[in-house]
Amino acid sequence: MTPLWVQAAAALLAVLLAVVAPARLRGRLAGAACAVTAGAGVWGGAQAMAGGAGVLVVGTALPGVSMTFAPDRLGGLFIILAGGVGVVASVYGIGYAAWAARTTWAGFAVLLLGMQLVPAAGDVLGFLLPWELMAGGSAVLVLAEHRTRPSARPAGVWYTVMTHLSLVTILGGFALLVVATGGQDFATLATADPAASGAAFVLLTLGFAAKAGLVPLHVWLPRAHPEAPSHASAAMSAAMVKMGLYGLLLVTVRLLPGGPAWWAWTLIGLGAVSAVYGILQAGVASDLKRLLAYSTTENLGLMVLALGVALLLRPAAPVASATALLACLLLAVSHAAFKTTLFLGAGSVLHATGERDLDRLGGLVHTMPWTATTFAIGALGAAALPLTGGFVAEWVLLQALVRGGETVDRTVTVATPLAIGVVALTAGLALLTFVKAFGIGFLARPRTPGTQRAHRAPVSMRAGMVAAAAAVVALGVAPGPVAVALARAVDVPVTSTGVAGIALPGAGPVLDPALVAALGLGLTVPVVAAVLVAARRAPRVVEVPAWGCGAVRDDPRVQYTATSYAEPLLRVFDDALQPERDVEVTHIAESRYLAARVAYRQELSDVVETRLYRPVLRAVDVVADRVRRVHNGSVSRYLTFAFGALVAVLVVVAR
Amino acid sequence: MTTLDSLATQALALSTGALLVTAALLVWRRSLAASARVLAVQGASLALLVGAIALEEREVELGVVALVVLALKGVVIPAVVARGVRVSGVQREDAPRLNPTAGLVAATGLTTLAYLVSEPISAAIAGRGVVASGPGAFAVPAGLTLVLVGLLLVVTRRRALSQLVGFLVLDNGIAAVAFLTAAGVPFVVELGVSLDVLLVALILAVLSGRLHAVIGAVTVDELDELRD
Repeated sequence: MTPLWVQAAAALLAVLLAVVAPARLRGRLAGAACAVTAGAGVWGGAQAMAGGAGVLVVGTALPGVSMTFAPDRLGGLFIILAGGVGVVASVYGIGYAAWAARTTWAGFAVLLLGMQLVPAAGDVLGFLLPWELMAGGSAVLVLAEHRTRPSARPAGVWYTVMTHLSLVTILGGFALLVVATGGQDFATLATADPAASGAAFVLLTLGFAAKAGLVPLHVWLPRAHPEAPSHASAAMSAAMVKMGLYGLLLVTVRLLPGGPAWWAWTLIGLGAVSAVYGILQAGVASDLKRLLAYSTTENLGLMVLALGVALLLRPAAPVASATALLACLLLAVSHAAFKTTLFLGAGSVLHATGERDLDRLGGLVHTMPWTATTFAIGALGAAALPLTGGFVAEWVLLQALVRGGETVDRTVTVATPLAIGVVALTAGLALLTFVKAFGIGFLARPRTPGTQRAHRAPVSMRAGMVAAAAAVVALGVAPGPVAVALARAVDVPVTSTGVAGIALPGAGPVLDPALVAALGLGLTVPVVAAVLVAARRAPRVVEVPAWGCGAVRDDPRVQYTATSYAEPLLRVFDDALQPERDVEVTHIAESRYLAARVAYRQELSDVVETRLYRPVLRAVDVVADRVRRVHNGSVSRYLTFAFGALVAVLVVVAR
Repeated sequence: MTTLDSLATQALALSTGALLVTAALLVWRRSLAASARVLAVQGASLALLVGAIALEEREVELGVVALVVLALKGVVIPAVVARGVRVSGVQREDAPRLNPTAGLVAATGLTTLAYLVSEPISAAIAGRGVVASGPGAFAVPAGLTLVLVGLLLVVTRRRALSQLVGFLVLDNGIAAVAFLTAAGVPFVVELGVSLDVLLVALILAVLSGRLHAVIGAVTVDELDELRD
């Protein structure tokens, strides 16, 4: 249990340093302490995955109430995930947030500690307290830049409200389980009868889905992630939302295994809708960090889809079910790696140019080669292309779906092809999205003067980005050992084969990316060489100034932009996205045939927000207005209410 | 039953009666200075109650708590209230929402309610400890009455200081019930709660003075305008 103490001590030290250290040294000192916190988390997680973490009982101020920390293998995996992301983000933050406010660093340390303690919990209290620590720390981070950006305030409100609602439902869910079993440690909760725990499942799923950013509870995510400082966005997006996934795993795999089929269908539905909706919104977003945030919704959707499939297939096809569970974990790990890379890259761009609007970026590949390279690797991972972790994870998921369909259960044979369709659609849209993110943002020519003056990132930022990108590639080239470790966390038989390849359970298929890469190189190198030789023989192309009929493209505005690139997608999914288009033509006074000015405006809002949340909020407003009439400001009247309520309760009790 | 035990029982009965009588007096009297004096008597009665429990349980620590209660609730807090009365210059609660007679009737009703409601509490503690054997269990309704009467005072009075008195009665009631049911509260907890109450009393007394200085009135109703 030593790592736990080290984590707590280091986090405390980080908060202390953030508060007292002089501004000049704050980033370095607090960042280092945060990195130690996260490093201790990795250590503790590794211990838990090896099965030797032990149990720690922490007393509270109330007699007879204590918190237990007893991480199991699954918890250990998520601790390592949070810790790993934390180390990279802390190191990056030393350069990125060198001059950040005290609260920013303090909040970051608290967030890291919370994220690492949640999966270590062994009882309800040990789960909820770190959960709130995590929520509080991240809320501070969302509001960190409220002075410079007014949009941070509504984002903070949305985030705080959603995260509190999620706490309330989680608390309710756990309370139901505690009442049913009579104890608050997880071992006792696990004795609950899944068939009778439907209400608890619904409440817990709601809460965890809100934290995981699943549609329709995702509305806080595209607001909060862009507002937080980028190293914090990375930690939130790559690790914090995963705690929602961990919660779902905790409920469906550890506490209440063997739930009824509708649980699985619920999760599959949530996951499928989130995956498609998330990537659609990401595809049309032109704010780089907003795009990444929506992509998080998509990835979490895929993970929950995999979890749902694993639950659905468990009775009919245990082998495919195990594979789906492995896919879920692989998706989580690879998403952590590439989303960290991408958010850190977006942070570097923001740091260097002050821009995160793709329509105003461009040409950064020349001025920021490190950022461009790592961002490209992250984008490959997000698009699930080979030689990255994303590809391996989606491959395993598709294998599970394909093999899961080979059963006699009719519902399953219908569900799997649909799920395959969802995964395929998301993969295609993800490719488009990240081609846009990289192509518009980093290639082509700078679209604004600010982009031209971009400078390289400091060493610590580059170190963070390179480490994260290296993880993406490592997961893609040598997935075998990782998969074996993950599989042990959920007791799935997976072996490593060939050059660090994966052999799925049963007489399953084998993926050996290193061999495939070698094969690919062996095939492409001769072809490329031949083409190059042929090109050399061909007559040289001579460039001469053209007449200027549009061929001389001097103005960067002539280039493709993120918005124009996404236009076809927007047209295809017009009904689902419902953009607001507005063409305003101002005519010359004398003639209505001649236009003086044409203004075109296109706005994209979140359909779920406008169609689902706005009416609810409006209704709440109306009710609140009615209630406000009772509140006339008289203190005596309020006191009378309280007194009357007390007497009424007593009368009821006395009867 | 030894002499000591019988002495403790007598003291317990006496203090319980004193608590009830002081509560009724507070509802009846409208003079603020008199209220402060009655409050001092009530605080002393509470200290006597704690002392009686300490005697029955033979606990020295609880005896110390009784002394602390006497100092705080019998002397310091009433003094703060009395000082507030002097500073604000308001001597009487002019127009309470409930006239004294109606207030006494309401207090009777609340006492009855407290007696009915506290039956399970009395029954629960009747089986254990010396406190609970006789008058201890009987004293619980008195504590609850204090809570309700305190709330009644807070609700029906208009002056900030009278409301403070109501709040202090409420707190005395809570303390009495806590001492009776838990057969003594840990020293640290009691100290913390008492200090909190002292702080509230100080703040309210100062607030009342400032209120008088700023808006020339100490009626809480004047604060209506402050709502959003």
